[in-house]
Amino acid sequence: MADETTAPVAPQHDSTRDTTTPGALSPDYRHETMAYVIGVAGWLVPGLGHALLKMWGRAAMCFLTVGTLVILGAGMRGNVFSSRGNDAFDSLGYLADLGTGTFYLLARSLETGGADVSHAGGDYGTRFLATAGMLNLLSALHAYEAARGRKA
Amino acid sequence: MNAGMGFKLSHLQSMLLFALLISIAFGFLSRRQPIERAKYIVWSLLLFLLIGVGIGWAMYPFSR
Repeated sequence: MADETTAPVAPQHDSTRDTTTPGALSPDYRHETMAYVIGVAGWLVPGLGHALLKMWGRAAMCFLTVGTLVILGAGMRGNVFSSRGNDAFDSLGYLADLGTGTFYLLARSLETGGADVSHAGGDYGTRFLATAGMLNLLSALHAYEAARGRKA
Repeated sequence: MNAGMGFKLSHLQSMLLFALLISIAFGFLSRRQPIERAKYIVWSLLLFLLIGVGIGWAMYPFSR
């Protein structure tokens, strides 16, 4: 067909990449890797992901809310689940608690007396700890998305 | 902190604290402008409390 023969032919490869030195990482790859690092950092230390992006208000909010929930949950003698769970709910609780990152170790160190869910306070504490984990995961995901430039 | 220093909170205090902390977190994550954040936090907090108390009252006939 005439249109196909006269239409300009698109280049088969990006000519700008030819200028990069062999072995060097592309900017997209570095950007994506940095987003992953920020997401993992935000999970490990609540607020660190946003702090690396210089979103100071969100970083402080994340650190304080997750920290307060963990301290309250452990102080109310909520259940800090371990990897040796007896059933699926224990495993889910463990995953939720792990969402707090390094604060999971803080919760375990604070709760030296063990969990006491025989009263309402302990039950609330278990929910506080699980919510802290979910909130931190949400915050880390937000930092990851912001690092990729999708939203902020 | 040890077991002897555990927090003793009532149901209402626990719910209030939970609703406040989560509302603040949601407000900061989902809005950028301070006024928008404040509106979102207040609105979310009110809804948390309203729905929490509402569900509590809805469960009351089945509690005994």
